Amino acid sequence: MSARREIILPPGCAPNAAARSAAAASLAVRGGEFIFVSGLTAIDLQSGERVPGTTASETRLILGNLKQVLEAAGSSLDKVVKVNVLLHSMLEAPNMNEVYVGFFPDPPPARTVCGARLPDGVKVIIECTALADP
Amino acid sequence: MRELIAAPLPGLDLRRHYGHHQSPAIRAGGLIFCSGMLPVDPHTGERRHGTLTTEAHIVLGNLKLLLESAGSSLDRLVQVHALIYDSIEYDVLNRVYREYVANGPPARTVWTAQIEAGFKIELDAIAAA
Repeated sequence: MSARREIILPPGCAPNAAARSAAAASLAVRGGEFIFVSGLTAIDLQSGERVPGTTASETRLILGNLKQVLEAAGSSLDKVVKVNVLLHSMLEAPNMNEVYVGFFPDPPPARTVCGARLPDGVKVIIECTALADP
Repeated sequence: MRELIAAPLPGLDLRRHYGHHQSPAIRAGGLIFCSGMLPVDPHTGERRHGTLTTEAHIVLGNLKLLLESAGSSLDRLVQVHALIYDSIEYDVLNRVYREYVANGPPARTVWTAQIEAGFKIELDAIAAA
């Protein structure tokens, strides 16, 4: 009955890439047949430094990082089943979406987009659940 | 297969106390999906409003009780959504949170939301069974 649980630590990634404190969140965790990825903000994955930009540029950086994290976990953007996108303003949804379509296959994963107040002045947070390698 | 995880203590049954149409948790596909955890007294179901710190201790304590009653634990968490009332409390949340998820923390996303009954925190969690 016990499902597999495993912390995913992609090589070369800053330990605090998922949260200001490395002890508060892992970048990704395998649970059963799924990979759960933390809400990612626009950062340099290697240094953990914030890379503030526009909604479009932050989305592009986050999805590039998400691709790297998923592939390190033996999954990929093609295996994503659900994405949650948090935006600092829903007026920016088209700017996010325009970048987003370039990263996912057709048919794309299920997705929820909502406006929220985000910490540290970030404009975009993206998290996802993907199928793991069997 | 979808299996009910019943409240291990009467206070954690929000359906009984507040009419919320929800189960405390559901086990499916080797995972345990918990309903949003709130700072209520696990014995009586009474709301325990306080600072974010005191509310977070109660919520994480309740989550611990619920998961352990289902044969899982806080160490088995895979994903957490932490909803807080104000993003200014992000570091305050982290200080409490770290005490409960010592080794290999789960994937997590934090955002600000309006939480029922004026609470300061709600945790939405998935754990490996």
